[in-house]
Amino acid sequence: MSLISFKDVTVDFNTPEGVVRAVNGISFDIKEGQTVGLVGESGSGKSVTSLAAMRLIPNPPGIISGGQILFQGKDLVKASEEEMRKIRGNDISMIFQEPMTALNPVFRVGDQIAEVLMLHKGMSRKEAWQKAEMLLDQVGIPNPKASIMKYPHEMSGGQKQRVCIAIAIACEPKLLICDEPTTALDVTIQKQVLDLMFDLQSKYNMGMLFITHDLSVIADIADDVVVMYRSNLVEQNNTEAIFTDAKHPYTKGLLSCRPSLEKNPSRLLTVADFMDDAGNEIEIDQAKLVPDEKKEKKEETPTLLEIKGLSTHFPIKGGLFGRTVDHFKAVKEVSFKLQKGKTLGLVGESGCGKTTLGRTILRLIEPAAGQIIYDGIDVTKLDKDQMREMRSRMQIIFQDPYSSLNPRMTVGEILLEPMNLHNIGANKEEKIEKAKWLMEKVGLTAAQLSRYPHEFSGGQRQRICIARALAVNPEFIICDESVSALDVSVQAQVLNLLLDLQEEFGLTYIFISHDLSVVNFISDEVAVMKAGEIVEMDKASKVYHNPQRDYTKTLLEAIPKGIPKSLLAKQQ
Amino acid sequence: MGMSKTEVLVNNTQASDPLKGKSLWIDAWQRLKKDKVAVACLIIVILYAIVAVLSGVGLIAADWGAEVGPSYAAPGADYWFGTDIFGRDVLSKVIHGSQVAMSVGLISSLIAIPIGVTLGALAGYFGGWVDEVIVWFYTTFSSIPQIMLLMSIALILGKGINTVYIALGLTSWVGLCRLIRGEVMKHKNREYVQAAGAIGAGHGRKLFKHIIPNVSHIVIIFTSLQFQIAIKSEVILSYLGLGVSGQPSWGTMIDDAKLELARGVWWQLAGATLAMFVVVLAFNILGDALRDALDPKLKGKD
Repeated sequence: MSLISFKDVTVDFNTPEGVVRAVNGISFDIKEGQTVGLVGESGSGKSVTSLAAMRLIPNPPGIISGGQILFQGKDLVKASEEEMRKIRGNDISMIFQEPMTALNPVFRVGDQIAEVLMLHKGMSRKEAWQKAEMLLDQVGIPNPKASIMKYPHEMSGGQKQRVCIAIAIACEPKLLICDEPTTALDVTIQKQVLDLMFDLQSKYNMGMLFITHDLSVIADIADDVVVMYRSNLVEQNNTEAIFTDAKHPYTKGLLSCRPSLEKNPSRLLTVADFMDDAGNEIEIDQAKLVPDEKKEKKEETPTLLEIKGLSTHFPIKGGLFGRTVDHFKAVKEVSFKLQKGKTLGLVGESGCGKTTLGRTILRLIEPAAGQIIYDGIDVTKLDKDQMREMRSRMQIIFQDPYSSLNPRMTVGEILLEPMNLHNIGANKEEKIEKAKWLMEKVGLTAAQLSRYPHEFSGGQRQRICIARALAVNPEFIICDESVSALDVSVQAQVLNLLLDLQEEFGLTYIFISHDLSVVNFISDEVAVMKAGEIVEMDKASKVYHNPQRDYTKTLLEAIPKGIPKSLLAKQQ
Repeated sequence: MGMSKTEVLVNNTQASDPLKGKSLWIDAWQRLKKDKVAVACLIIVILYAIVAVLSGVGLIAADWGAEVGPSYAAPGADYWFGTDIFGRDVLSKVIHGSQVAMSVGLISSLIAIPIGVTLGALAGYFGGWVDEVIVWFYTTFSSIPQIMLLMSIALILGKGINTVYIALGLTSWVGLCRLIRGEVMKHKNREYVQAAGAIGAGHGRKLFKHIIPNVSHIVIIFTSLQFQIAIKSEVILSYLGLGVSGQPSWGTMIDDAKLELARGVWWQLAGATLAMFVVVLAFNILGDALRDALDPKLKGKD
C-alpha cells in the first residue's frame, strides 16, 4: 500500500488578477521507504504540491480545490486543523531550502529540537534534550554535548541544515518532505548532506519526497521521478527510465541543459530546443544534438589583466570604543594573469574569498596591498575621477537578480544611467536606441524598456543585468555567481548568452562560481581558491582531468554525477 | 527604411517617454483602491482638507466670531452644534478649527521630514562617526519628555500658531530619522547599490537617486501618522494654554469646555472631539493601509 497518494490534486490561488491554478490535477504515490524526486522549475507548482501535503498552503489566497491526498488511507484534504497539527512534524515533517532562516535565531538548537519532541511525544524537557543530543550525533554534528547549547548563528550553513534534519527526523516521521534542501549549500556540503539523508532514510524506512530544480541532485537517491511543468505533471517514471528514456520534451530539455564534466559542448542545449512556448514538442535540430566540442582558445592573446600580490583585509572591531583590534585576511597575496578574450573561472567554497577578490579587482573594496594592472594601467593608483572613467571598461554582474536591480527604476532608466554617467550616445534618442539594441542583444524586446524589474522573471532580470553591464561597452566583465540563483534550464540560456556575447564583442570574463561543472563549461582557465589563496590554477581541461591538489580532487568528487547509481553500475 | 524611422518617432511621441511605465506608485494606488475602508478614510481626509482650505480663504464659516444667537443654546434645528458663551455658532468654530488642525499637521510634517530624512539617510549611509554623532544627537533629544520639550519651545517662542508649527515639527523628526536610518542601512548593501557603484556612480547619486526613492514610502506613511499626532498635540498644547489664540481651534474649544461642563454644557467639547476623532481615525486607518500598499516587500517575488 502507498504511504501517501496524491489523487487529482488541484490547488488554486485567488489573486487580484483572477484565479491562478498552481497545481493542476496531479496524481502520484510514494510507498514506504521510497524516495520520489519532484522536479520542475520555479513556479511549476512543486513546492505548492508539498505544502498541500502538509496543508500549509496560506489560505487565503490558496485553496486545495480538488482531489484527495491519502496519507495511510486518511484524506488530508478533509482532515481538521486539529488532526493536521498532530500529523505535522510527527508523521510528516519537512526540511526547507534555506537553513539560515529555517531556524529561530533566538533559541538554542537544543530547544528547537526538543520542542517537537515535547509537543508530539509528550517528553519532559530533560528527556527531550537527551534525545536531542542523540539526534545531533546521528546527523553528524561534531561534539553534540557542546553543540546542543549553541545558537544558530554560531553554526555553519551545512551544520544548520543538519540541525533542520535532526528536527525533521526527531519524531521518526513516516514521510519526509525536502524542499530543495541542498540548493543553498556548497557542493562538498551538499554531498555530505545528501549522503546523510540517504542513510537516515534507509535507517528509519521513511518515505521521502525530494523537491529540486536540478535533476542531477536526485539521480543518486530517488527511486522514482515526477516531473512538473507549468502546474501539470508531465512525466513520471522510475529514475533509470527518466534518465535513459525520457518521453516528455521538457524532461529531455532538463536532462541536457546541465553542463557535465564529461561532455564539453560549445553551447548547451536548452528546454527551448525541445519544445516551443506552448509546450509542444519541436523537431530537434540534429546538428545541435551532437554539439561541437568547445574549442580551447589556443592562440595567445595579449595580457589584459595582471594581479600581483593582491590582498584584502577586513578590520575586526573590538574593545570598548570599537577600535580595530585585528584584520580578517579575506584575500592573501593573490597573483595571476588573464589574457584578452578569455575566461578565468574562479571556484571555491563559500567564504573562500572569491567574491571579495572579484570586488577588489574592480576596487569596489579597497585592496590592502598589491597591484591590479589592467591594460598596462595600475588600477590601484587611479584617483577618484580616473577610477570613474575606468569603470566603463570593467563591469560586474551580480548573483541575485532580485536585489541587483533598483525596484523603483524602469528597465530603460536602469540601462540609460550608465550611459549618462559615461557620456555614451550624443543625445537621449541615441541612448534610447542603444538601450533598445541592448535589450534585443540579451534576448528581450525593446517594448519592455518601460517595465519595472518586478515584472520580469529571475532569468530575464539577469539578462537585464547583463545589458546594463554592456551599456558602457566594457572589455572585461566579472560574473559573480551570476547563474547560481537561476534554475538549471534558465542557467543554460544565460550561459549560452554570455558565450555568444563574448564571441561577438571579444569580452574577457572572470567567472566566479561554486558550481564546478558550470565553471568547466564556460572557462578557459580555472583557479581554485581556498581560504583566500589560489591553490591551483591551470587550463580548465587540465584542472578537471588531472587535478594536482587534494582540495581540488575533493571538490570534483563532490559534484553530483547526474547519473543514477544503478545505471553507473551497468556502464562499468 | 524611412518608414521605420518615422514609426519609431511616432512611437516615441505617443508614449511621451518610452522609459516610463506603470510606476510602483500607481501600482500601490491600485492596491489601495481595493481597500474600501481606506478609500473612505482618504475621502474623509480630502473633505477635511477642502473644508480647511475653504474656511481659510473665508468662503465658509467666516462669521464664526459673530453673535448669532443666545449664549449656550443647546444643539437643535437652528444651531446644529449649539452656541458658546458669546452666542457664537459651535459648528462654525469646529469648521474653522479644522483649518488649524490641518495646517498644523501639514507644516509640522514639512519641518520634520527634511530633518528626519537628511539625518537618517546620512547616518545610515555613511555609518562610522557620522552615524555615532547623529544617533547620539537624536537619542539625547528623544530622552527629553516630548511634552516638556513642546512646552519649553512654546514658552521661548511665545504663544501663537507659528510656535505650534515649529514646536511640533522640531519634536517629531526623531521617529522618522530612526526608520530612515535603518532602511538606508539595509539598502546600501543591496546589490543594486553596489551595481551603481560599479558603473561609476558617486555617493550622492547612490544615496539620492538609488536609495532614497526606495525608502520614500516611509515618508508617506510617516506623514499620514504625523498628521494625527500633530492634531492631537495641538489640542494638548492649546488645552495647556500654550497654543493657538485669537482664532478657534479644537484645542481651545476643549480648553473652554473645562468650565462649561460643570454647567452641563457639553456640546462644545463634543463638537471638537467628534471632529478630531473622525479625522484622527481616518488618518490612522489610512496610514496602515498605505503601509500595506507601499511596502516593496510585498512586490516582485509573487
